[in-house]
Formats: sequence, structure tokens, C-alpha cells
Amino acid sequence: MTVRMGSESQHIEVHKFYAGAVLGVCFLALVLQAFLNRFSPRFGILELPLLVVVYFGLSRRNSVIGLLLGTAVGLLQDGISHTPIGLYGIAKGFIGYIASSIGARLDTEHPISRFILMFLFFHIHQVLLALTMRLLLVQHAPFFTVHLLISSLLNSVIGVFLFAGLDRLRKQ
Amino acid sequence: MEVPSRHRPLVLLVAVILAQVLLLAFQIRRDRDVRLIRVWSAELLTPLQRAGTFIVTKTDGLWFGYIDLRNVRTENRNLAEQVGELRLKNQQLQGQAAQAVRLARLLGFRQANADIPMMAAEVIGANADATSRTVFINRGEQDGIRRNMAVITPDGVVGKISEALPHTSQVLLVTDRESGVGTLLAGTRTHGVVKGTGDPLLWMDYVSTDEKVPSGEEVLTSGEDRIFPKNVPVGWVASTKAGFPFQTIEVTPAAHLDRLEEVLVLTTEKSLNIHSPAEANSPSQQNPPEAKQQQNADALANAEVSANSKPLQATAKQSAVKAAPAKKPTAQTGNPQ
Repeated sequence: MTVRMGSESQHIEVHKFYAGAVLGVCFLALVLQAFLNRFSPRFGILELPLLVVVYFGLSRRNSVIGLLLGTAVGLLQDGISHTPIGLYGIAKGFIGYIASSIGARLDTEHPISRFILMFLFFHIHQVLLALTMRLLLVQHAPFFTVHLLISSLLNSVIGVFLFAGLDRLRKQ
Repeated sequence: MEVPSRHRPLVLLVAVILAQVLLLAFQIRRDRDVRLIRVWSAELLTPLQRAGTFIVTKTDGLWFGYIDLRNVRTENRNLAEQVGELRLKNQQLQGQAAQAVRLARLLGFRQANADIPMMAAEVIGANADATSRTVFINRGEQDGIRRNMAVITPDGVVGKISEALPHTSQVLLVTDRESGVGTLLAGTRTHGVVKGTGDPLLWMDYVSTDEKVPSGEEVLTSGEDRIFPKNVPVGWVASTKAGFPFQTIEVTPAAHLDRLEEVLVLTTEKSLNIHSPAEANSPSQQNPPEAKQQQNADALANAEVSANSKPLQATAKQSAVKAAPAKKPTAQTGNPQ
């Protein structure tokens, strides 16, 4: 279902999803991420939980829902990883919030804009992780590396196709 | 004071971030984990991981068998079905034989160390981030698993239990950056600490630059960390680099950490000495190799490995006999200090 809101000069489409689709996709992303990492550490280059947080943030366009969904996914990711609880929660909560805020202001349906947004969100997410690790955990974490650049490009490409697939879960 | 409605999301953002910062600060200050969130996460997600592992394991042979079948059909339609069935059966048998060999090695190791309480467990999942190296196993607190118990395979050290949850446990692999194992070099008995790097290779630290460390030298646990028993293989020296005051030694892990399927959890915290199967099977180490192989095969035939049919037991028995001479001579690893 698409809801139009805002003033006459501003039309914001808020997309709703079939019941359980948001939860199901988030769980699947976390399980798949852990499942793939089991077979090869090379799959660590993927950030499926981040992709779904960004997608639902951009689609729902409600900053509170984006924040809470991002935090929940981040905390679950912390829960099944050997990281302090809150590390991914903070980063993904923030990403969910800004994705929702940006989704309410920009066209986020075009593949090119989705690619650029995903690329930016990936690096913001990494900067937040690195900041948290440096300031709170006193651990070294890079803000930017070539590996992260490749990872962000790959995730952005996957995001374009994944987002198009997830669009089918929207209520018509 | 009432917050304007347009600022409420921002206030909520600040509150949620602040709460998590406090949560992180609590964990660091008290050096304690937020166990409740980990339990909930694992209880929610590991059943799905377990189901995925089950499906992949069961369909693996079928999938490759199907591809083979399609290729054969294009060559000769009349013989395709027959060839395909035989290939499929062959794939299944190969899979079962490989599993039997793995389980036979586990069983042999377990029988060689019958005095050490240990529990076999299956790897059912992994971590969900790129920074840590952990796996989940299908045994938890209810099976007697506790934090910091050692996890090994007959090949060598795997890691330790970092979280014991009700039905599952998280194993911190030796390759994780936070891992550390008290070790010694098998030849010179020089002590050091093997640390994970996040990469496939490990680092051995605190070995003086004056010490000559040849490549290929075996690295064993020293038992000083009170987690791993003494003399369990950790790996082999891959390369050394001079430094001051300590040299940098790269170690190749002995256990195949990239394809773990079954592991053993040592359910004790006492100081132990591990014996290789060969040591235990020969009371005075004078038995001929054939006798050791026969003992391994007999032990396997009595074991409750997942072989449900007699032909499989026979296959596994033959595999164990074939596998025994090819195995790396781990008898020397039982050398007490």
C-alpha cells in the first residue's frame, strides 16, 4: 500500500509491506550472513543486515521505525558475533534513522540513486563502527581501506538487485 | 518540559544511542557480557542456521548427482538413467564414507583419551560479522558445556567456548584476534604464546630472536593457560622473521578451521595430557601397525557412528584401515615435558 502524505508541494510515498515481511527479511539476512561466513571468511565482505536496514529505512520513511529496526538488527548481529553488545546496534540504529530521514526527502526508487545511497551508507556505517571502537573500546579500526572500498561497491551492486527484489514484498 | 513533536524522533535517536553507549561502557568497565541479549539472539537465529546446515548437508550429494546425471543424458539418453542412479549412489556413498572416516578419527581420538571427559559436537553456524572468527556448535549448557572449555579435533586445537547458551554454544576460534594459547615448540620446548590475527595464519609471540626456529617445526599447547591440555597440536611453523626482542613466527593451524564439521569439547578444566590414538592403542608402542589398524577398525565397528546399515559399517571399517597409515605421526605429540 502506498500512502501519499505531506503538503501539496511535497508528495512522499510511504510503502507498506505484507505482514511479517520486514521481520522475515531481517531474520533471513542475519541467518544468511552467519551461514555464508561459516563456509568461507570471504563472504565477510557482504553486509546483508546493513542492506535490509537501509532498504526498509528508505521505504518506510519513518525515522522512529528506521531507528528501532536498525537497532534491533544491530543488536541481534552483536548477539551472534563476538563483539560487545551495542557496537553494531549503535551503527545500524543511526543508519536506519538517517536512511528514513533521507528517504522522506529524496527519490530513492531509481537504481542509480539506490547505488549511490548504499555506497554512502556503507561508509557512514564503517565510520560509526570505527569511531565506536576507537573511542569506547580503545581498539584500532580503519575508517577507510581499499578492501572497504571494494566491499562497499560490491554491496551497493547487490543492494540495487536486492532492493528491486524486495520491492515485490510491498503491498500494492 | 514537553518536547515538540517534530523533535521527538531526534530525542529518541539520542536516547537509544546513549543507552547503547552506556551498555558498552558497562561491559567494558565490569568486563562482563550482556548475556540476555546473546541468549535471545542465539535462541532466535541458531534454529534457522541449524535447519540451513541440515538442508545443505542432505541436498549436497543430490545436487551434484543431478548435474552429473544431466551431462550423461546428453551423451546417451538410453543409458542416462542407469548411469545417473549409479553416480548418485556413488556420491552418497562417498559422502557417507568421508563422514565415517571423520567420525572414526574422532572415535579413535576419544578412545585413546578415554580418561578425559569430552563430548562430540556438530558445527551448526558461524558469526555474522567480518571482524571475529567464531562458530556455533549444537551443544549447550544443558549438555554440560561451560565457558572457557577447550574445543579440539584430532588434528589439533580449534578454540574455546566463549559463550555457553542453553542449547548451543559459541566457540572462539584460535584465529580470532582475541584468542591466545600457551604453547611450546616441540623440538626445543621453547615456550611462547600463539595469538589469532583474524587471518588464516596464527602468530607465535614471546620467542627470543636468539632461538633458532626451523620452518615446519610443530607447535604444541603447553597447558599453562589452564584451558587447553598439554601437548595438543596447535600447528606448524610457516615462517619466521627476526625482531627485537622477540621474533615474529607465523604458524599454520593444525586443525582445518575452514571446514569444521565435528569437534570435541573437553568437558573438564583439570590439567590433562592428550594422547594420540596410536599411543593409546599400543601399551608399549611395540605392536605392529596392522594390529593398531585392526584395533581402530574394531572400535569403529562397535561405535554408534551414524551408520545405519551394515554395508556402511563395512565401508567405514575399510576407510579407517586405509586412513590410518596415511595419518600424520602424532605419536610424538604426546611427549610429556
